[in-house]
Amino acid sequence: MTTALDDIAAPAPGTFSRRLRFADPSMILWLALIAVLIFLIASPMVRLVISSFQEPETQRLTLHNYIDAYGSARHLQALWNTLELGGGVALLAGIFGVPLAWAISRTDMPAKGFVRLMVFGAFIIPPYLGAIGWILLAGPNAGWLNKLWMAVTGAPHGVFNIYSMTGLIVVIAVTSFPYVFVFTSSALDLVSSEMEDAANILGAGTLRTTFRVTLPLVLPAIVGGLIISFLEAIALFGAPALIALPARFHVVSTQLWQFFEYPVRVEEAAAYAMPLLLITLLMFWLQRTVLGRRGYTTVSGKGGERRVIKLGPWRFVMLGYALLVCTLSVFLPMLVLVQAAFARAWGRGFSLDNLTLNNFRYVLFEQTQAQNAIINTFVYSGAAAFGAITLSLAIAYVVTRKLVPWSNVLAFLCMAPFVIPGIILAIGFYAAYAPPPLALYGTATILILAYTTRFLPIAYTSSAAGMRSINPEMEEAVRILGGGRLTAIRRVLAPLLKRSIAGAWILVFIPATRELSSAIFLVGPNTRVISVMLFDLSEEGNFEVLATLGLILLAVTLVIAAIGFKAIGRDFMVRNS
Amino acid sequence: MIRVPSRRDVLKAGSALALGATLGARSALAREMSAREKELYELAKKEGEINWYTAHSDDVTAQALGRDFEASYPGIKANVVRTTAQVAFQRVSQEIKAGAMQVDVLSSTDLGHYAYLKEKSLLEHYVPDNSAHVLDIYKNYDPDGFYHVTSAGMIAIGINTSKLSEADAPKNWPDLLDPKWKDKIALGHPGFSGYVGTWVVMLRKLYGWDFFEKLAKNNPQIGRSINDTVTMLNSGERIIAGCGPVGTAMNSAKKGNPLAMIYPTDGTVLIIAPSAIMKGVKHPNCAKLFMEYLLSAEASQVWVDHYNESMRAEINPPPGVKAAKDVKIIRPSVAEIDKGIPEVIKAWRDTFGV
Repeated sequence: MTTALDDIAAPAPGTFSRRLRFADPSMILWLALIAVLIFLIASPMVRLVISSFQEPETQRLTLHNYIDAYGSARHLQALWNTLELGGGVALLAGIFGVPLAWAISRTDMPAKGFVRLMVFGAFIIPPYLGAIGWILLAGPNAGWLNKLWMAVTGAPHGVFNIYSMTGLIVVIAVTSFPYVFVFTSSALDLVSSEMEDAANILGAGTLRTTFRVTLPLVLPAIVGGLIISFLEAIALFGAPALIALPARFHVVSTQLWQFFEYPVRVEEAAAYAMPLLLITLLMFWLQRTVLGRRGYTTVSGKGGERRVIKLGPWRFVMLGYALLVCTLSVFLPMLVLVQAAFARAWGRGFSLDNLTLNNFRYVLFEQTQAQNAIINTFVYSGAAAFGAITLSLAIAYVVTRKLVPWSNVLAFLCMAPFVIPGIILAIGFYAAYAPPPLALYGTATILILAYTTRFLPIAYTSSAAGMRSINPEMEEAVRILGGGRLTAIRRVLAPLLKRSIAGAWILVFIPATRELSSAIFLVGPNTRVISVMLFDLSEEGNFEVLATLGLILLAVTLVIAAIGFKAIGRDFMVRNS
Repeated sequence: MIRVPSRRDVLKAGSALALGATLGARSALAREMSAREKELYELAKKEGEINWYTAHSDDVTAQALGRDFEASYPGIKANVVRTTAQVAFQRVSQEIKAGAMQVDVLSSTDLGHYAYLKEKSLLEHYVPDNSAHVLDIYKNYDPDGFYHVTSAGMIAIGINTSKLSEADAPKNWPDLLDPKWKDKIALGHPGFSGYVGTWVVMLRKLYGWDFFEKLAKNNPQIGRSINDTVTMLNSGERIIAGCGPVGTAMNSAKKGNPLAMIYPTDGTVLIIAPSAIMKGVKHPNCAKLFMEYLLSAEASQVWVDHYNESMRAEINPPPGVKAAKDVKIIRPSVAEIDKGIPEVIKAWRDTFGV
């Protein structure tokens, strides 16, 4: 270590050796963290970009991958479809999420706690499971809603067709609107009523005040939520695979999957992945520069008075709307999924002779893979959550305490996976770490590393927020009294951070349990997880077994989330996200 | 894996009991293991597990075979990964490219895969003893002995009998083109399913690509696996399975779903599907033992219990169930499939848009 550093330091011995003397173990920690982050994030992505310019066999530089990837009208159409999907989902998620956030945060709408709980429910339902639920609901001929429509009106055809772009947009929007909700409501919680009062005094009514004052004040947060929904939608793989194919169109993620058909064209896939990466970067740049620069200084901490807006009779209209959103996102899909899980054939409906536990017996005992997959899912997710949090805490500590110069580089790298869609991250991991020398293909390690990387930004956001909330004076007191930094961390910091660590762990754990897109290219026969198994089984249709496995996933996730709720005793999702 | 040899007899008895309880009809149980089998089993127990990628059947049948293998050879775990043929091959290609072979035995339904893997020297040469005991039509499929036929099944036209009577149903393949079946037909996808790919190759040979141009006008629902067509019939989403897998459909009918098969007058498509051991696998002896098992009478019993074809003369389908010998059979040649499937996948994408 020292020799290596001396070598590097040779050109400028003065400054570097001085720095080295001051650096104590922090510098080594910083270097170690940088190395880990480069391994997890920079290296797979650089590998991906390089391979997009390489000839598969010879490794020579070429533009052919780009020509092949964009030389087909179908491929370009898929790109356009993805943009349409993302735009539609963001719009609809806004229509669902913003009114709910406003109603819960600012008004006297009844049953707020229940609605909030249902939004959390929508958050933990994986999009592909929601998609299966909606296929059962809105299949053009067999879907429950269409059957009901035909029974009531006597029409020969149903009215809803899940196998369409609109269908796909609805399915993804009902599972991703919680992002908009969380962003918007946490901003609304910080806006004081003074500005609204001013508008009221000047004669504006509730509606006018809301649209002209309150919502514009939280616009950056709303746009942030919409961007996340957009990015989530364009990167999803499971729901489009279930719905887009029968609907006869492709999106980028399903097209990327096709490049992995024989012959595997990782290089062309890498080239084709670039627009998704660029769009994501562009979105974040937009959010940062365009919105970040505008001053919304009223949203500044917890000061100021906030009163609820009295809606009068309209509060029941608002509740009706909230319940409608909950119906679309949670009640209806869960109802039909539960029915299918306990049915011999879901199409035969809710009757006693259609009830069975056979699906559970099949999944739990007859299937040779399911038991392992269930265990793997929770072990990998748990391990990844620990990994992501350990790493992000160390980084947050270094960054917030400014232990070393350029510590912001660490923060930047930590947040970088946010702009990498899961399927692209998986391709990068595959290209970089599946082959020798590391030869991690089919191991648990590569999955845990991929999950850790994928959810590092969530872990870091929580850890950094927790870390910032703790005044360094307390640690300094320990050090003045002769305790070392490690003592300070162990005896002061760790106990204070316990709650935010637990909250962050759950926030990483839940999405990790359902992660499909980054797992799909990395699993082997012994490292299968529930999401991939669901994807494989979905090829055959077989919705009863799919629903059963999905419910098992949800049930275990819920139990763990409930333990988390109990442990930290507050609404961690709303506070931290 | 953890079993010690001295307990073997106890275990054998135990497994016989367990099996006897679940599959009462298995008389072959008392059968002595052959010398080769014993030798393989001893070596295989040290390896402990077999990773089997299969597209030969639906998940239920594949898992039943895995469990039956586990019961026949206690101490060896079967990891059965059922996907469509092209997805299985996609995973295998990824493994080859990464230099980390995970699969032991590959059971694809696209014959082209074996021709390709054999040419690239990616298959392990193994001739199971049991390959001498299968029906003649399944013998020596690959004269060099790299891959061996381990299953066969039929594709006919499936219907939902609660919405369509057998009298009104299509009688032959061109009947599917009748405009009255618009929005009524379900299909699989040749880019996923080897069964569907072979079916497309066969019908292209009989009626030209024009058949599919016309079929597209009837707006069929396109899933991935051929078995998805059965799901679509069960739910009532569609009423005709344009390429209906007989085994999966009959299994489902047995569970009480309103299904029937129409065996087209111009011929039912027979799919003959081989299995092979990949080169450089982690569990070579388990793989060999598993190849022996797939060609055993026990495996054939599981196949016919699930309405697929028997590999062996001594195992017959239950009375009343049609086997390939009872209907008019058509099938493309190995060369036609090898060359044809990549072509039809491309043409399919142009015609159907996905």
